[in-house]
Amino acid sequence: MPRLRVTRRLFWLVPLALLPLPLYLDQYRQYVVNLMLMYVPVGIGFNVVVGNLGLLAFSNVAFFGIGAYTSGVLALKLGVPWWLTILPAGLMGALAGCAAGIPALRGVRLFYLAIMTLAFGELLRWVYIRWVPVTGGSFGMSVPPPSVFGWTLETEGHKFYVFLVLVVLMVVLTDRVLRSRFGRAFMAIKDNELAAAAMGIPTDRYILLAFAWGGFVVGIGGSMYAALVGHVTPIAFDLTELILEFAVIMVGGLGSLLGSVIGAAVITAAPEFFREWLGFQELLFGLLIIAVILFLPRGLASLLARLHPVFVDRYYRD
Amino acid sequence: MPEDLLPNQLLTARGLEAGYPGKQILFGVDLAVAPAEVVVLLGANGSGKSTALNTLSGFVRPWAGSIRFEGAEIAGRPPHRIFRRGIVQVSQARDLFPDLTVEDNLRLGAWARGGAVDALAEDVFRSFPRLAERRRQMVRLMSGGEQQMVAIGRALMGRPKLLLLDEPSGGLAPVFVKEIAAIIAELKRRAIAMVIVEQNIKLALSIADRFLILRDGRVTQRQDIRAGAADEQDIVRSIYL
Ligand SMILES: Nc1ncnc2c1ncn2[C@@H]1O[C@H](COP(=O)(O)OP(=O)(O)OP(=O)(O)O)[C@@H](O)[C@H]1O
Ligand SMILES: [Mg+2]
Repeated sequence: MPRLRVTRRLFWLVPLALLPLPLYLDQYRQYVVNLMLMYVPVGIGFNVVVGNLGLLAFSNVAFFGIGAYTSGVLALKLGVPWWLTILPAGLMGALAGCAAGIPALRGVRLFYLAIMTLAFGELLRWVYIRWVPVTGGSFGMSVPPPSVFGWTLETEGHKFYVFLVLVVLMVVLTDRVLRSRFGRAFMAIKDNELAAAAMGIPTDRYILLAFAWGGFVVGIGGSMYAALVGHVTPIAFDLTELILEFAVIMVGGLGSLLGSVIGAAVITAAPEFFREWLGFQELLFGLLIIAVILFLPRGLASLLARLHPVFVDRYYRD
Repeated sequence: MPEDLLPNQLLTARGLEAGYPGKQILFGVDLAVAPAEVVVLLGANGSGKSTALNTLSGFVRPWAGSIRFEGAEIAGRPPHRIFRRGIVQVSQARDLFPDLTVEDNLRLGAWARGGAVDALAEDVFRSFPRLAERRRQMVRLMSGGEQQMVAIGRALMGRPKLLLLDEPSGGLAPVFVKEIAAIIAELKRRAIAMVIVEQNIKLALSIADRFLILRDGRVTQRQDIRAGAADEQDIVRSIYL
Protein backbone atom coordinates (compact mmCIF):
# COMPACT_ATOMS: atom_id res chain seq x y z
CA MET A 1 0.00 0.00 0.00
CA PRO A 2 2.17 2.87 -1.21
CA ARG A 3 -0.45 5.42 -0.21
CA LEU A 4 0.16 4.54 3.41
CA ARG A 5 3.87 5.11 3.17
CA VAL A 6 3.38 8.58 1.77
CA THR A 7 1.04 9.51 4.57
CA ARG A 8 3.46 8.27 7.22
CA ARG A 9 5.89 10.92 5.98
CA LEU A 10 3.33 13.51 6.95
CA PHE A 11 4.22 12.85 10.57
CA TRP A 12 7.26 15.04 9.94
CA LEU A 13 4.91 17.99 9.73
CA VAL A 14 4.24 17.73 13.45
CA PRO A 15 7.72 18.74 14.67
CA LEU A 16 7.94 21.32 11.86
CA ALA A 17 4.64 22.87 12.90
CA LEU A 18 5.92 23.10 16.45
CA LEU A 19 9.01 25.11 15.49
CA PRO A 20 7.50 28.61 15.91
CA LEU A 21 5.98 27.70 19.28
CA PRO A 22 8.50 29.60 21.47
CA LEU A 23 7.44 32.83 19.74
CA TYR A 24 3.97 32.51 21.20
CA LEU A 25 4.52 31.04 24.63
CA ASP A 26 5.60 32.66 27.88
CA GLN A 27 8.36 31.02 29.91
CA TYR A 28 5.96 29.04 32.09
CA ARG A 29 3.91 27.63 29.22
CA GLN A 30 7.08 26.85 27.36
CA TYR A 31 8.30 24.99 30.44
CA VAL A 32 5.13 22.89 30.40
CA VAL A 33 5.64 22.08 26.72
CA ASN A 34 9.23 21.08 27.47
CA LEU A 35 7.94 18.85 30.24
CA MET A 36 5.65 17.18 27.71
CA LEU A 37 8.60 16.59 25.41
CA MET A 38 10.57 15.12 28.29
CA TYR A 39 7.82 12.62 29.05
CA VAL A 40 7.84 11.36 25.47
CA PRO A 41 11.06 9.30 25.79
CA VAL A 42 10.11 8.39 29.35
CA GLY A 43 6.85 6.93 28.03
CA ILE A 44 8.41 5.37 24.94
CA GLY A 45 10.96 3.37 26.91
CA PHE A 46 8.37 2.21 29.43
CA ASN A 47 6.03 1.20 26.63
CA VAL A 48 8.66 -0.86 24.83
CA VAL A 49 9.07 -3.08 27.89
CA VAL A 50 5.48 -3.19 29.13
CA GLY A 51 3.50 -2.69 25.94
CA ASN A 52 5.64 -4.24 23.23
CA LEU A 53 7.58 -6.92 25.09
CA GLY A 54 4.62 -7.45 27.41
CA LEU A 55 6.45 -7.84 30.71
CA LEU A 56 5.08 -6.32 33.90
CA ALA A 57 8.25 -4.42 34.78
CA PHE A 58 7.97 -1.29 36.89
CA SER A 59 11.58 -0.20 36.97
CA ASN A 60 11.01 2.74 34.64
CA VAL A 61 11.53 5.36 37.29
CA ALA A 62 14.90 3.76 38.03
CA PHE A 63 16.07 4.30 34.45
CA PHE A 64 14.71 7.84 34.57
CA GLY A 65 16.55 8.59 37.80
CA ILE A 66 19.80 7.02 36.62
CA GLY A 67 19.69 9.18 33.50
CA ALA A 68 19.05 12.34 35.51
CA TYR A 69 21.76 11.57 38.05
CA THR A 70 24.27 10.63 35.35
CA SER A 71 23.79 13.99 33.65
CA GLY A 72 23.72 15.80 36.96
CA VAL A 73 26.86 14.22 38.37
CA LEU A 74 28.83 14.56 35.12
CA ALA A 75 27.84 18.22 34.76
CA LEU A 76 28.23 19.27 38.38
CA LYS A 77 31.18 17.19 39.58
CA LEU A 78 33.19 16.84 36.38
CA GLY A 79 32.12 19.97 34.55
CA VAL A 80 31.03 18.07 31.46
CA PRO A 81 28.77 20.23 29.25
CA TRP A 82 25.19 18.94 29.36
CA TRP A 83 24.94 17.86 25.73
CA LEU A 84 27.88 15.50 26.22
CA THR A 85 26.10 13.87 29.16
CA ILE A 86 23.05 12.84 27.13
CA LEU A 87 24.57 9.71 25.61
CA PRO A 88 26.17 8.56 28.89
CA ALA A 89 22.79 9.07 30.58
CA GLY A 90 21.18 6.86 27.95
CA LEU A 91 23.90 4.24 28.32
CA MET A 92 23.57 4.18 32.09
CA GLY A 93 19.82 3.82 31.60
CA ALA A 94 20.47 0.88 29.29
CA LEU A 95 22.77 -0.67 31.88
CA ALA A 96 20.09 -0.25 34.55
CA GLY A 97 17.65 -1.77 32.06
CA CYS A 98 19.82 -4.86 31.72
CA ALA A 99 20.10 -5.14 35.49
CA ALA A 100 16.34 -4.81 35.92
CA GLY A 101 15.83 -7.42 33.20
CA ILE A 102 17.91 -10.12 34.89
CA PRO A 103 15.06 -11.52 37.04
CA ALA A 104 12.99 -11.82 33.85
CA LEU A 105 15.74 -13.98 32.35
CA ARG A 106 15.48 -16.23 35.37
CA GLY A 107 11.84 -16.82 34.48
CA VAL A 108 10.33 -14.33 36.93
CA ARG A 109 7.01 -13.09 35.53
CA LEU A 110 3.81 -11.23 36.35
CA PHE A 111 3.37 -10.02 39.93
CA TYR A 112 6.71 -11.44 40.98
CA LEU A 113 8.47 -9.46 38.28
CA ALA A 114 6.37 -6.39 39.09
CA ILE A 115 7.40 -6.38 42.73
CA MET A 116 11.05 -7.15 42.01
CA THR A 117 11.33 -4.32 39.50
CA LEU A 118 9.57 -1.96 41.92
CA ALA A 119 12.12 -2.96 44.54
CA PHE A 120 14.88 -2.18 42.05
CA GLY A 121 13.63 1.40 41.72
CA GLU A 122 13.43 1.80 45.48
CA LEU A 123 16.92 0.33 45.85
CA LEU A 124 18.28 3.01 43.55
CA ARG A 125 16.47 5.67 45.55
CA TRP A 126 18.24 4.37 48.61
CA VAL A 127 21.54 4.77 46.75
CA TYR A 128 20.67 8.36 45.76
CA ILE A 129 19.93 9.18 49.39
CA ARG A 130 22.94 7.43 50.92
CA TRP A 131 25.70 8.12 48.44
CA VAL A 132 25.90 11.72 49.61
CA PRO A 133 29.33 12.71 48.22
CA VAL A 134 28.19 11.92 44.68
CA THR A 135 24.44 12.48 44.70
CA GLY A 136 24.04 15.15 47.34
CA GLY A 137 21.80 12.88 49.42
CA SER A 138 18.19 13.76 50.20
CA PHE A 139 18.62 17.37 49.14
CA GLY A 140 19.95 16.35 45.77
CA MET A 141 22.12 18.53 43.61
CA SER A 142 21.80 21.61 41.50
CA VAL A 143 22.77 21.08 37.90
CA PRO A 144 24.57 23.91 36.07
CA PRO A 145 22.58 25.50 33.22
CA PRO A 146 22.58 23.17 30.24
CA SER A 147 24.80 23.96 27.30
CA VAL A 148 25.08 22.69 23.77
CA PHE A 149 28.23 23.16 21.66
CA GLY A 150 29.38 25.84 24.09
CA TRP A 151 26.04 27.68 23.94
CA THR A 152 24.16 27.97 27.19
CA LEU A 153 20.46 27.25 26.92
CA GLU A 154 19.26 30.33 28.75
CA THR A 155 15.56 30.30 28.02
CA GLU A 156 12.92 27.62 27.97
CA GLY A 157 12.64 28.29 24.24
CA HIS A 158 16.27 27.29 23.72
CA LYS A 159 15.75 24.06 25.63
CA PHE A 160 12.65 23.42 23.55
CA TYR A 161 14.60 23.16 20.30
CA VAL A 162 17.17 20.77 21.73
CA PHE A 163 14.44 18.67 23.33
CA LEU A 164 12.50 18.58 20.08
CA VAL A 165 15.52 17.18 18.26
CA LEU A 166 16.04 14.54 20.95
CA VAL A 167 12.38 13.55 20.95
CA VAL A 168 12.21 13.23 17.18
CA LEU A 169 15.38 11.15 17.28
CA MET A 170 14.01 8.82 19.95
CA VAL A 171 10.68 8.43 18.16
CA VAL A 172 12.31 7.68 14.81
CA LEU A 173 14.86 5.26 16.26
CA THR A 174 12.28 3.40 18.34
CA ASP A 175 10.01 3.20 15.31
CA ARG A 176 12.90 1.59 13.45
CA VAL A 177 13.55 -0.84 16.27
CA LEU A 178 9.91 -1.86 16.57
CA ARG A 179 9.50 -2.36 12.84
CA SER A 180 12.65 -4.44 12.54
CA ARG A 181 13.14 -8.09 13.41
CA PHE A 182 13.78 -6.88 16.98
CA GLY A 183 10.27 -5.55 17.26
CA ARG A 184 8.85 -8.68 15.70
CA ALA A 185 10.70 -10.75 18.28
CA PHE A 186 9.22 -8.56 21.05
CA MET A 187 5.76 -9.06 19.56
CA ALA A 188 6.24 -12.83 19.42
CA ILE A 189 7.54 -13.01 22.99
CA LYS A 190 4.63 -10.91 24.21
CA ASP A 191 2.08 -13.15 22.57
CA ASN A 192 3.54 -16.54 23.42
CA GLU A 193 7.03 -16.91 24.76
CA LEU A 194 7.22 -20.65 24.21
CA ALA A 195 6.04 -20.31 20.62
CA ALA A 196 8.63 -17.58 20.09
CA ALA A 197 11.37 -19.95 21.23
CA ALA A 198 9.91 -22.67 19.01
CA MET A 199 10.22 -20.29 16.05
CA GLY A 200 13.94 -19.96 16.67
CA ILE A 201 13.84 -16.66 18.57
CA PRO A 202 16.48 -16.47 21.31
CA THR A 203 13.97 -15.11 23.80
CA ASP A 204 16.43 -14.29 26.59
CA ARG A 205 18.54 -12.13 24.32
CA TYR A 206 15.53 -10.19 23.05
CA ILE A 207 14.08 -9.68 26.51
CA LEU A 208 17.39 -8.16 27.57
CA LEU A 209 17.51 -6.05 24.41
CA ALA A 210 14.03 -4.65 25.05
CA PHE A 211 15.01 -3.71 28.59
CA ALA A 212 18.25 -2.17 27.35
CA TRP A 213 16.54 -0.10 24.66
CA GLY A 214 13.78 0.94 27.07
CA GLY A 215 16.39 1.93 29.65
CA PHE A 216 18.38 3.84 27.06
CA VAL A 217 15.47 5.95 25.87
CA VAL A 218 14.20 6.62 29.39
CA GLY A 219 17.74 7.47 30.50
CA ILE A 220 17.82 10.18 27.86
CA GLY A 221 14.52 11.43 29.27
CA GLY A 222 16.31 11.59 32.63
CA SER A 223 19.04 13.69 31.11
CA MET A 224 16.37 16.05 29.80
CA TYR A 225 14.94 16.22 33.31
CA ALA A 226 18.29 17.36 34.69
CA ALA A 227 18.46 20.10 32.05
CA LEU A 228 14.86 21.18 32.43
CA VAL A 229 14.41 21.21 36.19
CA GLY A 230 18.02 22.00 37.08
CA HIS A 231 17.75 20.13 40.33
CA VAL A 232 17.99 16.37 40.81
CA THR A 233 16.58 14.91 44.03
CA PRO A 234 15.63 11.40 45.14
CA ILE A 235 11.99 12.37 45.69
CA ALA A 236 11.56 13.06 41.98
CA PHE A 237 11.94 9.35 41.29
CA ASP A 238 9.52 7.86 43.79
CA LEU A 239 6.43 5.69 43.36
CA THR A 240 4.19 8.68 42.63
CA GLU A 241 6.37 9.51 39.67
CA LEU A 242 6.23 5.89 38.55
CA ILE A 243 2.44 5.92 38.63
CA LEU A 244 2.42 9.09 36.57
CA GLU A 245 4.67 7.45 33.99
CA PHE A 246 2.43 4.39 33.98
CA ALA A 247 -0.54 6.68 33.35
CA VAL A 248 1.30 8.10 30.33
CA ILE A 249 1.39 4.75 28.56
CA MET A 250 -2.01 3.55 29.77
CA VAL A 251 -3.78 6.72 28.62
CA GLY A 252 -1.76 6.93 25.42
CA GLY A 253 -2.07 3.27 24.52
CA LEU A 254 -0.12 0.18 25.57
CA GLY A 255 2.29 -1.02 22.92
CA SER A 256 1.77 2.06 20.76
CA LEU A 257 4.59 4.43 19.93
CA LEU A 258 2.13 7.09 18.95
CA GLY A 259 0.36 6.37 22.23
CA SER A 260 3.49 7.18 24.22
CA VAL A 261 3.65 10.59 22.53
CA ILE A 262 -0.03 11.35 23.04
CA GLY A 263 0.04 10.08 26.62
CA ALA A 264 3.03 12.27 27.46
CA ALA A 265 1.26 15.32 26.09
CA VAL A 266 -2.09 14.65 27.75
CA ILE A 267 -0.81 13.62 31.15
CA THR A 268 1.46 16.65 31.33
CA ALA A 269 -1.07 19.13 29.99
CA ALA A 270 -4.15 17.94 31.86
CA PRO A 271 -3.20 19.30 35.32
CA GLU A 272 -2.57 22.70 33.71
CA PHE A 273 -6.10 22.74 32.32
CA PHE A 274 -7.56 21.64 35.62
CA ARG A 275 -5.76 24.45 37.45
CA GLU A 276 -8.82 26.64 36.99
CA TRP A 277 -10.92 24.33 39.15
CA LEU A 278 -8.90 24.91 42.27
CA GLY A 279 -9.31 22.15 44.81
CA PHE A 280 -10.61 19.69 42.27
CA GLN A 281 -7.46 19.26 40.20
CA GLU A 282 -6.48 15.83 41.48
CA LEU A 283 -10.05 14.63 41.29
CA LEU A 284 -10.45 15.73 37.67
CA PHE A 285 -7.06 14.31 36.75
CA GLY A 286 -7.98 10.97 38.29
CA LEU A 287 -11.35 10.95 36.57
CA LEU A 288 -9.73 11.67 33.23
CA ILE A 289 -7.42 8.67 33.59
CA ILE A 290 -10.25 6.41 34.70
CA ALA A 291 -12.50 7.57 31.86
CA VAL A 292 -9.88 6.96 29.19
CA ILE A 293 -8.95 3.52 30.48
CA LEU A 294 -12.60 2.57 30.93
CA PHE A 295 -13.81 3.66 27.53
CA LEU A 296 -10.60 3.27 25.55
CA PRO A 297 -8.73 0.30 26.99
CA ARG A 298 -6.20 0.60 24.16
CA GLY A 299 -5.66 4.25 24.94
CA LEU A 300 -6.14 7.46 23.01
CA ALA A 301 -3.98 6.13 20.17
CA SER A 302 -6.67 3.56 19.42
CA LEU A 303 -9.06 6.42 18.77
CA LEU A 304 -6.78 7.74 16.05
CA ALA A 305 -6.22 4.25 14.69
CA ARG A 306 -9.92 4.08 14.01
CA LEU A 307 -9.75 7.30 12.00
CA HIS A 308 -7.05 6.28 9.57
CA PRO A 309 -4.78 3.25 9.07
CA VAL A 310 -1.71 5.49 9.12
CA PHE A 311 -2.13 5.67 12.90
CA VAL A 312 -2.05 1.90 13.31
CA ASP A 313 1.18 0.60 14.76
CA ARG A 314 2.67 -1.90 12.36
CA TYR A 315 5.46 -4.36 12.83
CA TYR A 316 5.73 -5.09 9.14
CA ARG A 317 6.34 -2.62 6.35
CA ASP A 318 3.57 -2.72 3.81
CA MET B 1 22.71 -53.02 13.77
CA PRO B 2 19.19 -51.73 13.07
CA GLU B 3 18.82 -50.41 9.54
CA ASP B 4 18.10 -46.91 10.78
CA LEU B 5 21.54 -46.54 12.33
CA LEU B 6 23.40 -46.77 9.05
CA PRO B 7 25.48 -43.83 7.89
CA ASN B 8 24.21 -41.11 5.49
CA GLN B 9 21.29 -40.29 7.69
CA LEU B 10 19.89 -36.80 8.06
CA LEU B 11 19.49 -37.29 11.78
CA THR B 12 20.87 -39.97 14.06
CA ALA B 13 19.97 -40.09 17.75
CA ARG B 14 21.66 -42.71 19.87
CA GLY B 15 21.11 -43.80 23.43
CA LEU B 16 18.85 -40.87 24.29
CA GLU B 17 18.02 -40.63 27.96
CA ALA B 18 15.83 -37.79 29.04
CA GLY B 19 13.15 -36.84 31.52
CA TYR B 20 11.99 -34.28 34.02
CA PRO B 21 13.33 -33.54 37.49
CA GLY B 22 13.25 -36.79 39.43
CA LYS B 23 11.59 -38.75 36.64
CA GLN B 24 13.34 -40.45 33.75
CA ILE B 25 11.13 -40.88 30.67
CA LEU B 26 13.42 -42.03 27.84
CA PHE B 27 15.72 -44.99 28.42
CA GLY B 28 18.23 -45.25 25.58
CA VAL B 29 16.19 -44.39 22.51
CA ASP B 30 17.85 -44.86 19.11
CA LEU B 31 16.25 -43.17 16.15
CA ALA B 32 17.42 -42.16 12.72
CA VAL B 33 15.87 -40.36 9.79
CA ALA B 34 17.18 -40.53 6.25
CA PRO B 35 16.72 -37.59 3.87
CA ALA B 36 13.12 -37.39 2.62
CA GLU B 37 12.08 -40.20 4.93
CA VAL B 38 8.93 -40.26 7.05
CA VAL B 39 9.28 -42.00 10.39
CA VAL B 40 6.23 -42.50 12.57
CA LEU B 41 6.49 -42.83 16.32
CA LEU B 42 3.75 -44.92 17.89
CA GLY B 43 3.05 -45.62 21.51
CA ALA B 44 0.49 -45.49 24.28
CA ASN B 45 -0.29 -42.30 26.19
CA GLY B 46 2.61 -41.39 28.41
CA SER B 47 5.08 -43.65 26.64
CA GLY B 48 7.37 -40.68 25.97
CA LYS B 49 6.61 -39.79 22.35
CA SER B 50 6.32 -36.05 22.92
CA THR B 51 9.34 -36.13 25.20
CA ALA B 52 11.32 -37.76 22.41
CA LEU B 53 10.33 -35.06 19.91
CA ASN B 54 11.02 -32.32 22.43
CA THR B 55 14.46 -33.76 23.02
CA LEU B 56 15.20 -33.59 19.30
CA SER B 57 14.02 -29.98 19.10
CA GLY B 58 15.92 -28.93 22.21
CA PHE B 59 12.99 -28.15 24.49
CA VAL B 60 13.96 -31.09 26.68
CA ARG B 61 17.66 -31.46 27.45
CA PRO B 62 18.90 -35.04 27.07
CA TRP B 63 20.61 -36.51 30.12
CA ALA B 64 22.72 -38.77 27.96
CA GLY B 65 23.12 -39.82 24.37
CA SER B 66 23.91 -38.03 21.16
CA ILE B 67 21.90 -36.40 18.40
CA ARG B 68 23.72 -35.78 15.15
CA PHE B 69 22.01 -33.67 12.53
CA GLU B 70 23.74 -33.24 9.18
CA GLY B 71 26.95 -34.33 10.84
CA ALA B 72 26.81 -31.83 13.74
CA GLU B 73 26.14 -32.73 17.36
CA ILE B 74 23.03 -30.90 18.55
CA ALA B 75 22.20 -32.70 21.79
CA GLY B 76 21.74 -30.14 24.57
CA ARG B 77 21.78 -27.13 22.26
CA PRO B 78 19.10 -24.49 22.89
CA PRO B 79 15.91 -24.72 20.79
CA HIS B 80 16.60 -21.59 18.75
CA ARG B 81 19.96 -22.99 17.55
CA ILE B 82 18.41 -26.29 16.59
CA PHE B 83 15.65 -24.45 14.74
CA ARG B 84 18.25 -22.52 12.78
CA ARG B 85 19.75 -25.78 11.57
CA GLY B 86 16.41 -26.71 10.07
CA ILE B 87 14.62 -28.88 12.63
CA VAL B 88 11.17 -27.39 13.05
CA GLN B 89 8.59 -28.75 15.44
CA VAL B 90 4.82 -28.51 15.54
CA SER B 91 4.15 -29.32 19.16
CA GLN B 92 1.15 -31.17 20.50
CA ALA B 93 -0.17 -27.91 21.99
CA ARG B 94 0.48 -26.19 18.64
CA ASP B 95 1.88 -23.13 20.43
CA LEU B 96 0.59 -20.49 18.09
CA PHE B 97 0.54 -16.73 18.59
CA PRO B 98 -3.15 -16.48 19.50
CA ASP B 99 -3.53 -12.69 19.39
CA LEU B 100 -1.80 -12.29 16.05
CA THR B 101 -3.27 -12.77 12.61
CA VAL B 102 -2.70 -15.83 10.45
CA GLU B 103 -0.37 -13.76 8.31
CA ASP B 104 1.75 -12.58 11.23
CA ASN B 105 1.93 -16.11 12.60
CA LEU B 106 3.28 -17.28 9.27
CA ARG B 107 5.76 -14.45 9.00
CA LEU B 108 7.12 -15.16 12.46
CA GLY B 109 7.75 -18.69 11.24
CA ALA B 110 10.35 -17.21 8.89
CA TRP B 111 11.88 -14.96 11.56
CA ALA B 112 14.95 -17.05 12.25
CA ARG B 113 15.74 -18.57 8.88
CA GLY B 114 14.73 -15.65 6.68
CA GLY B 115 14.18 -16.18 2.99
CA ALA B 116 11.65 -14.57 0.71
CA VAL B 117 8.97 -14.20 3.36
CA ASP B 118 6.16 -13.04 1.09
CA ALA B 119 6.79 -15.76 -1.47
CA LEU B 120 6.93 -18.39 1.27
CA ALA B 121 3.65 -17.12 2.71
CA GLU B 122 1.93 -17.19 -0.66
CA ASP B 123 3.15 -20.73 -1.10
CA VAL B 124 1.58 -21.71 2.22
CA PHE B 125 -1.65 -19.97 1.25
CA ARG B 126 -1.72 -21.96 -1.97
CA SER B 127 -1.41 -25.21 -0.01
CA PHE B 128 -3.98 -24.05 2.56
CA PRO B 129 -6.72 -22.11 0.72
CA ARG B 130 -8.71 -22.11 3.95
CA LEU B 131 -5.97 -19.99 5.54
CA ALA B 132 -5.80 -17.63 2.58
CA GLU B 133 -9.43 -16.73 3.15
CA ARG B 134 -8.66 -15.96 6.76
CA ARG B 135 -5.27 -14.33 6.51
CA ARG B 136 -6.24 -11.27 8.55
CA GLN B 137 -8.08 -13.25 11.19
CA MET B 138 -6.79 -13.58 14.73
CA VAL B 139 -5.65 -17.14 15.31
CA ARG B 140 -7.46 -17.50 18.62
CA LEU B 141 -10.76 -17.18 16.75
CA MET B 142 -10.08 -20.14 14.49
CA SER B 143 -11.23 -23.72 14.79
CA GLY B 144 -8.92 -26.46 15.99
CA GLY B 145 -8.41 -27.77 12.49
CA GLU B 146 -7.64 -24.35 11.10
CA GLN B 147 -5.21 -23.74 13.94
CA GLN B 148 -3.43 -26.98 13.11
CA MET B 149 -3.10 -25.72 9.53
CA VAL B 150 -1.63 -22.46 10.78
CA ALA B 151 0.81 -24.44 12.92
CA ILE B 152 1.94 -26.59 10.00
CA GLY B 153 2.01 -23.63 7.62
CA ARG B 154 4.09 -21.64 10.07
CA ALA B 155 6.51 -24.54 10.44
CA LEU B 156 6.91 -24.61 6.65
CA MET B 157 7.82 -20.92 6.73
CA GLY B 158 11.00 -22.01 8.51
CA ARG B 159 11.98 -24.06 5.43
CA PRO B 160 12.44 -27.22 7.51
CA LYS B 161 14.89 -29.92 6.60
CA LEU B 162 13.30 -32.08 9.25
CA LEU B 163 9.74 -31.54 10.39
CA LEU B 164 8.60 -32.90 13.74
CA LEU B 165 4.82 -33.27 13.96
CA ASP B 166 3.26 -34.17 17.30
CA GLU B 167 -0.20 -35.67 16.77
CA PRO B 168 -1.17 -33.54 13.79
CA SER B 169 -4.64 -35.13 13.71
CA GLY B 170 -5.15 -34.93 17.47
CA GLY B 171 -8.59 -33.68 18.46
CA LEU B 172 -9.69 -32.93 14.91
CA ALA B 173 -12.96 -33.80 13.18
CA PRO B 174 -12.75 -36.45 10.41
CA VAL B 175 -12.95 -33.84 7.62
CA PHE B 176 -9.92 -32.08 9.00
CA VAL B 177 -8.05 -35.30 9.61
CA LYS B 178 -8.44 -36.04 5.91
CA GLU B 179 -7.27 -32.59 4.95
CA ILE B 180 -4.25 -32.78 7.25
CA ALA B 181 -3.40 -36.23 5.90
CA ALA B 182 -3.46 -34.85 2.37
CA ILE B 183 -1.17 -32.01 3.40
CA ILE B 184 1.31 -34.37 5.01
CA ALA B 185 1.26 -36.56 1.92
CA GLU B 186 2.02 -33.46 -0.15
CA LEU B 187 4.95 -32.57 2.12
CA LYS B 188 6.24 -36.09 1.67
CA ARG B 189 6.09 -35.65 -2.11
CA ARG B 190 8.16 -32.51 -1.63
CA ALA B 191 10.78 -34.73 0.03
CA ILE B 192 10.61 -33.09 3.46
CA ALA B 193 11.88 -35.54 6.06
CA MET B 194 9.49 -35.96 8.97
CA VAL B 195 9.14 -37.59 12.34
CA ILE B 196 5.46 -37.88 13.13
CA VAL B 197 3.81 -38.88 16.37
CA GLU B 198 0.35 -40.14 15.54
CA GLN B 199 -2.40 -41.96 17.43
CA ASN B 200 -4.47 -42.53 14.32
CA ILE B 201 -2.78 -45.72 13.15
CA LYS B 202 -4.50 -45.84 9.76
CA LEU B 203 -3.30 -42.33 8.99
CA ALA B 204 0.13 -43.11 10.41
CA LEU B 205 0.64 -46.18 8.27
CA SER B 206 -0.61 -44.44 5.14
CA ILE B 207 2.22 -41.90 5.28
CA ALA B 208 5.03 -43.75 7.03
CA ASP B 209 8.13 -45.24 5.47
CA ARG B 210 9.04 -46.77 8.79
CA PHE B 211 7.54 -46.86 12.23
CA LEU B 212 8.87 -47.26 15.74
CA ILE B 213 6.90 -48.32 18.78
CA LEU B 214 7.80 -46.68 22.03
CA ARG B 215 6.87 -48.31 25.29
CA ASP B 216 7.74 -46.82 28.67
CA GLY B 217 10.53 -44.87 27.05
CA ARG B 218 12.09 -47.75 25.14
CA VAL B 219 11.81 -48.69 21.48
CA THR B 220 10.18 -52.11 21.47
CA GLN B 221 9.65 -52.54 17.76
CA ARG B 222 10.84 -50.96 14.53
CA GLN B 223 9.72 -51.86 11.06
CA ASP B 224 10.17 -50.69 7.51
CA ILE B 225 6.82 -50.79 5.73
CA ARG B 226 7.92 -49.67 2.27
CA ALA B 227 8.30 -53.32 1.24
CA GLY B 228 4.98 -54.55 2.54
CA ALA B 229 2.11 -53.23 4.60
CA ALA B 230 2.08 -53.93 8.31
CA ASP B 231 -0.86 -55.55 10.06
CA GLU B 232 -2.84 -52.95 11.94
CA GLN B 233 -4.13 -55.39 14.54
CA ASP B 234 -0.59 -56.57 15.25
CA ILE B 235 0.59 -53.03 15.80
CA VAL B 236 -2.27 -52.15 18.12
CA ARG B 237 -1.44 -55.27 20.11
CA SER B 238 2.22 -54.41 20.45
CA ILE B 239 1.42 -50.85 21.48
CA TYR B 240 -1.07 -51.62 24.19
CA LEU B 241 -0.54 -55.18 25.36
N1 LIG C 1 6.99 -30.98 31.77
C1 LIG C 1 6.84 -32.18 32.40
N2 LIG C 1 7.19 -32.31 33.70
C2 LIG C 1 7.07 -33.50 34.32
N3 LIG C 1 6.62 -34.62 33.74
C3 LIG C 1 6.25 -34.54 32.44
C4 LIG C 1 6.34 -33.33 31.71
N4 LIG C 1 5.92 -33.56 30.44
C5 LIG C 1 5.57 -34.86 30.39
N5 LIG C 1 5.77 -35.46 31.60
C6 LIG C 1 5.53 -36.87 31.89
O1 LIG C 1 6.35 -37.65 31.05
C7 LIG C 1 5.65 -38.82 30.64
C8 LIG C 1 5.72 -38.95 29.13
O2 LIG C 1 5.03 -37.86 28.57
P1 LIG C 1 4.94 -37.57 27.03
O3 LIG C 1 4.20 -36.31 26.86
O4 LIG C 1 6.29 -37.67 26.43
O5 LIG C 1 4.05 -38.80 26.54
P2 LIG C 1 3.35 -39.04 25.15
O6 LIG C 1 3.80 -40.36 24.70
O7 LIG C 1 3.56 -37.89 24.25
O8 LIG C 1 1.83 -39.09 25.61
P3 LIG C 1 0.50 -38.62 24.83
O9 LIG C 1 0.17 -39.68 23.86
O10 LIG C 1 -0.53 -38.52 25.90
O11 LIG C 1 0.78 -37.30 24.20
C9 LIG C 1 4.25 -38.71 31.20
O12 LIG C 1 4.17 -39.55 32.33
C10 LIG C 1 4.12 -37.28 31.59
O13 LIG C 1 3.31 -37.13 32.73
MG1 LIG D 1 2.36 -36.45 23.45
